[in-house]
Amino acid sequence: MSERSGAWLQVRGLSKHFGGANALSAVDVDIHRGEVHGLVGANGAGKSTFIKCLACITTPDEGTVSLDGEPLALGNPHTPEDAGFAFIHQELNLVPHFDAIQNILLGVPKPRKAGFTQWRQARAMAIAAAERIGVDFPLNRRVDELTVAQRWLVMIGKALVRNASLVVMDEPTASLSAVESDALFRIIRDLSRSGVAILYVSHRLDEVLDLSDRITVFRDGRVTKRADRGELDKAGLIQAIVGRAVPSSARSVRAEIDRTTPLFEARNVRRLPMVKDVSFTLFPGEVLGLGGLVGAGRTETARLAFHADKLESGSFLLEGTELKARGVADAVKAGIALIPEERRSEGLILEKSVQFNMSLAALEHLRALAGLPFLSAAKQKTRTLEMIRALSIKTTGPSQAVGRLSGGNQQKALIARWLIPGIKVVFFDEPSRGVDIGARQEIHQAIRDLAERGIGTIVISSDVEELAMLCDRVVVLREGEVSGEAVGDEITEQAIIQLSYAPVHEAEGGTR
Amino acid sequence: MSTSPTIPNAAASPQPSPTPNGSGVIARDQRRVSRLLLLILSRYGTLIGLALMVILFTVRAPEAFFNITNFVNILSQSSLTAIIAAGLTMTLVVGEFDLSIGYAASFAGLLVVGFIALNGLPVAAAVLLMLMIGAAVGTANGVLVTKVRINAVIATLGVGTILTGLGFAYSAFPIAAGIPQSFDNISLGRPLLGIPNPIIIMVLVLAILWFILNKTDLGQKMQAVGGNIEAARLSGIRVDRVKIFAFGAAGVCAALTGILLSALLGSGTLAAADGYLLDAFAAVFLGSATLRDGEFHIVGTLVGVLIISVGFNGLSIFGAPSWAQDVFNGAILIVAVGLSTLSRRYAKAG
Repeated sequence: MSERSGAWLQVRGLSKHFGGANALSAVDVDIHRGEVHGLVGANGAGKSTFIKCLACITTPDEGTVSLDGEPLALGNPHTPEDAGFAFIHQELNLVPHFDAIQNILLGVPKPRKAGFTQWRQARAMAIAAAERIGVDFPLNRRVDELTVAQRWLVMIGKALVRNASLVVMDEPTASLSAVESDALFRIIRDLSRSGVAILYVSHRLDEVLDLSDRITVFRDGRVTKRADRGELDKAGLIQAIVGRAVPSSARSVRAEIDRTTPLFEARNVRRLPMVKDVSFTLFPGEVLGLGGLVGAGRTETARLAFHADKLESGSFLLEGTELKARGVADAVKAGIALIPEERRSEGLILEKSVQFNMSLAALEHLRALAGLPFLSAAKQKTRTLEMIRALSIKTTGPSQAVGRLSGGNQQKALIARWLIPGIKVVFFDEPSRGVDIGARQEIHQAIRDLAERGIGTIVISSDVEELAMLCDRVVVLREGEVSGEAVGDEITEQAIIQLSYAPVHEAEGGTR
Repeated sequence: MSTSPTIPNAAASPQPSPTPNGSGVIARDQRRVSRLLLLILSRYGTLIGLALMVILFTVRAPEAFFNITNFVNILSQSSLTAIIAAGLTMTLVVGEFDLSIGYAASFAGLLVVGFIALNGLPVAAAVLLMLMIGAAVGTANGVLVTKVRINAVIATLGVGTILTGLGFAYSAFPIAAGIPQSFDNISLGRPLLGIPNPIIIMVLVLAILWFILNKTDLGQKMQAVGGNIEAARLSGIRVDRVKIFAFGAAGVCAALTGILLSALLGSGTLAAADGYLLDAFAAVFLGSATLRDGEFHIVGTLVGVLIISVGFNGLSIFGAPSWAQDVFNGAILIVAVGLSTLSRRYAKAG
């Protein structure tokens, strides 16, 4: 599988393990001077780890990266700068209240004379870099007044003023319009022609196929495909991303769901930029999966349903009537719960006890006398112990700080928080992220138990296998819109991934 | 097979240099001992400090220090600080600040005397009205911080300064004439077993606030908001309301302290209670380094107040010059915040 040698940038045998999992195993990648190199793969395929290794944010366990035959010192934070690598992430690390020129020049060694910075010369450098990419906005404008597309140009200008020879772009078009994207593609092609290599990381396969001179596909931390321009079409690319369909032996037996009266509905829900138009229906006792790529708007949709963010338009219906909640507290009162993906920062109060964390949403039910706001210590403790037993949470007891539990047990403690009377719909955002296999099964069991009690559950997961195992039905989002749906045996990894990548209009009706 | 051999990269896989077995064990033991010392210092350091002060003063000045009268005196002096500091504790529990409390106390002390002496209000009515105004001031702080989203330091400093100005407008001179004995008796009376009233009021206020914080829905919600505001919000807690309540409680406590001070002094004086702000902060931060890992709590606040009062008591017994009091005051504030930070860091690392 090795490539012919002689490439400008050669990555050989790059491996990285996190805990027991291989994020990267013996990856070889060649990048030629001045080429546009597409890098694709599903969530968790190892793309980000690969980029982090190049950026020396992560130190690989094994492997080398060499430039013109010279091995680079990986793990040294100065290496990327010295080698001429520039990284443009989606977050665009710019200083908001600096103007474009200041941002372009930030951290660049500036010409000096007798100890004084030659600002005029430095500005000329920045202006030259900006002209190279055809910047058409005033460079003295503050960055926070620029559009996202213009900020991208500033970031590229930053790379050019440092004489970067490789620019890594992570999902550059994720928040650009079609016209802006086209402009960016022109710039990318110009850069490539002038000898700057581009590593183009994107989920948008059409773009990758269109732009790239060569494409590398990652799956499960390995390179599964290398292709020159024209060798692959979109179907072939998807095939390489998905690989063989995993046998779905682990699938649970699905209960027959009565799909006559909806429990919860989203109708044309919208909050830009992430959620454009999402509609779905959830039935009582159903486990509904919300699939799609990272950035497809799944978490944002759940937060809208939970009223943690405000809707721009559209509505949610609970048991047939419109949900008029002014905030999370009202949504909870109506019977909606959300277990967030970021459980340590958005779910738990780490220094506080297991009991404290579990009781937080149940306080009204733990009063000594109904109606009076006095808590019963005994009721709190009894409930906590019951939950610890029911969810087999591994803890030294109700008074242990929740931050000391393992990821899986923290997740179970959060589930316990919401096992309260009156809850009708529970959103799980990446319920088994950072959780070991055993705990994952127990969490899945807890979700199914909820469903059996008639509660509607919505599971957001980037782990396609998890969706296929757990869900009765999966709705797939792509770029803030529903791209399709799969029910029962239609739920395969292949189907979900295809929907995740499919343009919205093509998929509508096509897969059902 | 791969044509280019993998070159072992030293920087990529740093091997931990093997330590000889014996020294490794010693190093680990030392680390364990220093961790234990840190734990003791961060949880019990304030209590040990208080005990050391009591022992030192007892040994050096047994007659003047170690007797019931002096202890009652210390508690009496503690009570006003303890009440205002307990209110401050409520705002810190929810993760906010209140810098207006000293000014609010001064304002309340002046106004309540004015209500009685100038407007002829009955004592009980004047006190009740003043407590309600205190609650309103606190609520205003809370609304500014939560709804208008002004940083608490700025909002409460602004409100405090406005109160000072309003107090000045109300009466630039101390009001001392026309105050009935029944008002002075609020602080000077000893109806129960000869215990001074302020001590009884302090015990009541602290007990109520302790109960709210630890035994009610609201208290749990306050602790959740202070612990992780986003998690609290996503648990369905109305974060803004919880914070406004905390500010309201701080306002009532500040007003109460101001009223008690005027009763003690027998007059309403501009800016009389401003100094309580620093004492309260020092006490509350000392308290957060007591028994719990950097958390603000009522019992801790009481310990903090006692440390300050015993310290002052000692200084005056030994006839320390008045500048020494300021030095002590400033030093204790720095030590308090330092200890509190240490506790919190220990809790995180633990």
